[in-house]
Formats: sequence, C-alpha cells, structure tokens
Amino acid sequence: MTRPLLELRNVSRAFGGLRVNAEVSFTLGEGERVALIGPNGAGKTTLVNVITGDLAPSEGRVVFDGQDITDLSIPARVKAGLVRTFQITRLFTGLTVAENVALAVMQRRGMTWRFFARATFTPGVREEWRRILELLGIADLAARPVTELAYGQQRLLDLAIGLALNPKVLILDEPAAGVPHDEAPKILEAIDRLPREIAVLMIEHDMDLVFKFARRVLVLANGRLIFEGDAGAVTRDEEVRRAYLGSYADGRRRA
Amino acid sequence: MMNTVLSIGLDAVSYGMVLFTISIGLSIMMGLMRVVNLAHGAFAMIGGYFASYAIKQLGLNYPFAIVVAVLGTIVISAPLEMLLYRRIYRGAGELTQLLLTIGVTFVIIGLANYVFGPTTKSIPVPAMLSGPFDLGFRMIPTHRLFVVACGLTTALALWLLIERTDFGVRLRAAVDNGDMAEALGIRTQVIYSMTFAIAVGLGAFGGVVGAELMPIEPSYALRYMVTFLVVVSVGGAGSIPGALAASLLLGLADTTGKYLAPEFGEFFFYLAVIVIVFLFPNGLLGRAQ
Repeated sequence: MTRPLLELRNVSRAFGGLRVNAEVSFTLGEGERVALIGPNGAGKTTLVNVITGDLAPSEGRVVFDGQDITDLSIPARVKAGLVRTFQITRLFTGLTVAENVALAVMQRRGMTWRFFARATFTPGVREEWRRILELLGIADLAARPVTELAYGQQRLLDLAIGLALNPKVLILDEPAAGVPHDEAPKILEAIDRLPREIAVLMIEHDMDLVFKFARRVLVLANGRLIFEGDAGAVTRDEEVRRAYLGSYADGRRRA
Repeated sequence: MMNTVLSIGLDAVSYGMVLFTISIGLSIMMGLMRVVNLAHGAFAMIGGYFASYAIKQLGLNYPFAIVVAVLGTIVISAPLEMLLYRRIYRGAGELTQLLLTIGVTFVIIGLANYVFGPTTKSIPVPAMLSGPFDLGFRMIPTHRLFVVACGLTTALALWLLIERTDFGVRLRAAVDNGDMAEALGIRTQVIYSMTFAIAVGLGAFGGVVGAELMPIEPSYALRYMVTFLVVVSVGGAGSIPGALAASLLLGLADTTGKYLAPEFGEFFFYLAVIVIVFLFPNGLLGRAQ
C-alpha cells in the first residue's frame, strides 16, 4: 500500500446510549480510491462527520498525514489538506463561479490582505481557478452567478472549491445524490479526472457508481466495519449480503 | 418653457445626486449587513460639522476639509462600531437595531447642539466652485456640476469596490454565508467593520457636498433621515443602481413639484414614493429576500 494519509484507530461515537460507530479502524493511502458503503442507518454520515471534525469521537483517534488530528478544528483540518465536498451549503450564491474558486485559492495561499486587486484576474490565482474549472469541465460557466447553475453544476462547483483548497484527502459525500440522471455522468467524469495523487473516500449508495470508481470498498453496518477489501469481492461476501438484505427486509416490514 | 424644463432637470439631477451620495452608505448597511442604521443622517451631519470647522476655524481648503470630514467621522464612529454596532450585525432583531441607532442619533444631536449651538453652520465652497458655469446654452452654478460628479464617482468607485476587488469578493462571501467564509479563513468581523467605516465615510462625504441643499444644523440628523430611508426602500437595499435610480426619480418628483406647485410642499415626493413602492414592493432593484 502507498504512504498512509488518513488513519482511523478504533473510532467509536455514541449519542447517549446509542452507539452509532463502534471501533472502526481503517487506513487510506496516498492516491487511493476507496468507497464507503452501507445500508441506511449504518452510521456512514456520523463516521464522516468524525473524520472532518464536525463531530468529536467518543473514543479512538483520527490520524492525518502522521499527525493526530482528533482535537483539531474543521478549518485546521481543511488547511492540513483534509477536505469534504458535495455540500451545496458551502457555495457563495452572491459570487460568480470563478469568484467562488478564486476566493478559495486566495484564502489557501494566505492572500488575505489584498484589497484592490481583482481576485479572478490576479496572476497565479487566475491560472489556478481556470485549470480547476477546465479539469472538471465547467470552464464555460466561469462568469455565471451561482444562482443560475443547475443542481449538478453546483455540485461540480463545490468539487472545484474542494480542489482549490489543495487537498491530500478528498471526501466525496454522496456525489450523485439528488442529481438528475442526465447530469450524473458529468459528475462521474469529473471524479474520474481528479488528480491521481489525491486520496479519495467516496460515501455512496449507488453501487454502479461505487464499482466504477473504487478499487477498495469498506462496508459499514450497525456502526461496525463488516467488510474491507476488493470491490469485486464485496458482493460475494456473505455478511455484506446479510446486512443489505436484512435492512431491505426491515424496510419492507416497516413500509 | 424650455428654460423651465432645463432648470427643473438640472436641479433634479443635482438634488438626486446629493440624495444618492448620502443614502448609498445607508443602503449598503441595510442590504449587506442587515442593519437599519437610523444614525446614518447623524454621521452625515458630523461630516458637515467637521468640514465647516476645518474650513472656517482651521483655514483648510475645501478638498482637504472633505478628507478631514470623512476620516474624522470614521474615527468618531469607530468606538460606536466596536461597542454597539458589532452586536447588531446580521441577526439582531429590528427593534433592537432601531432603538439602539435612534438612541445614538439623539445623543449625537444633543452633543452637536451643546458643542456647536442650534444655528446653521455653513461650509464655504471655494471660488472655483461657487461661480456660474457656462454650459454653452446657459449658465448654471458650478457647485451643481461638482455634486453630480461626486455622485457619479461615488457610484462607480463603490461598484468597482464591491464587484471587482478582492475586498468585494470577501464582503459578498461573508454576507452570503458567514460560517463558510470563516471556515475558509476570512475574518468576517474585520470585513464588517471595514464596510461600516465605508458606509459612515460615504455618509460624511455626502453630508459635506450636499450641505448647500441640506444645511448642517443639529436637527439635520433626524430631519432628512426619512428621505434617506425612502431612497433606500425605493431603490432596494444594497443595490447601487437601485439607489441611483431612486435618488434621481425622487429628486425629479420633488423638484418638479416644488417648481410647478410649490404650495403642495413635499406632496409630489411622497406621491412618487407611494406609486413606486406600490409597483415595486422590493424596491426598484432590490435583492429578493
């Protein structure tokens, strides 16, 4: 395996008496493409929130690039290179597409005291936001206000902001959720073109997407990691089948 | 007839530009920082007192007095910003904002009365601006042209600052999504404080250049506040083109009314307000809330 970047050591998270994550351990190496899947209520979102710093773990440690980041704030984690995307809420709707990305580039570079320069034209910054938008196939939208973008385009812009923060690890939070069918392929293409050196952890329901994207799959069920291994082997695993079928049967009974 | 139309037009434009120059700071505070700053007129008045004092007591020239007025007003407003305004940016209830800023206004009126007395303080304009200007087909007071130029320059500079600079991008980002802006490392408090200073400075600037039409005396702070608020609500809070359009329209309505039917007083001004607000409830170019 490549150099380990993100490492979870026996992470548990409880809400009151309810243990949502129990002793989860895994490692994500440089440039890896890993999918985290699991039935509804398996604790995927909680686990991601613990990784990004939105939630503190009840037990266990989160290590990033050799440094224990368990007690680090969200901005500090972002600065270190641990970036989460596909949260539409983070777009600045009063700004254009180019300005959104340029702002992230400037803040990352610490250009916080430039006032009268034109952000999107600043040499260095301009090349960077252009390169990112071209990589994701949305360069033609650069001058458009965010409010005019289609939903799928907003998600791509969010991915662009994530890239502008120069991540070492990128967490894609259900990239295709809610995106209309005709826009979904563009998102897949964009994910496919992400720079190789970035490690990507994708949380996803859509198994087609998972198989296209990931070589390694982690399966979470009832808060525990029940499978970790090759994407091809996951559907043959008995415990994974039980977890998914079980929840499916539960769902049927409830409905 | 032609002459009357021209006179009305010129007066309307210069009055409109004065309204714009003073009101745009109020509009920015309301549109971007969601603060209804009823003390805005008081800050414009402070600018006027500064300029009057700088020219008549210190013997400074007019351009330099404007700089002193703008910077002096910002300095005076800074402690108010730190102690009071900072608590009411984006989120405090309207009642809190109104009570706080009207309180500030009363204090400033009281102090102005105590320090400078109840009489009007003039701001002498330099010879260059006080004479008539030959437009070729008629003469007009040079000061009117100066006021128009100030208004247009303010509009353009402000638009460039907000739409075309790094500061503008950060300001719009902080206004849009403060939490996310903070997460990116933008110090939103600093951005807000600077915006407050800009708004107050613009008010002071407008107070000085508009003193011919709106004379500086202690009750200035309240007397014209309604007019400024009307400009902002007609134009749409936070919109520079909106404030410009509203100022010119209201300037035209008011001037025309006063020329043609002086016995009606402010009637035509408020009639125009009612009609516009009826047709455009969010203001001419207001951001949908």
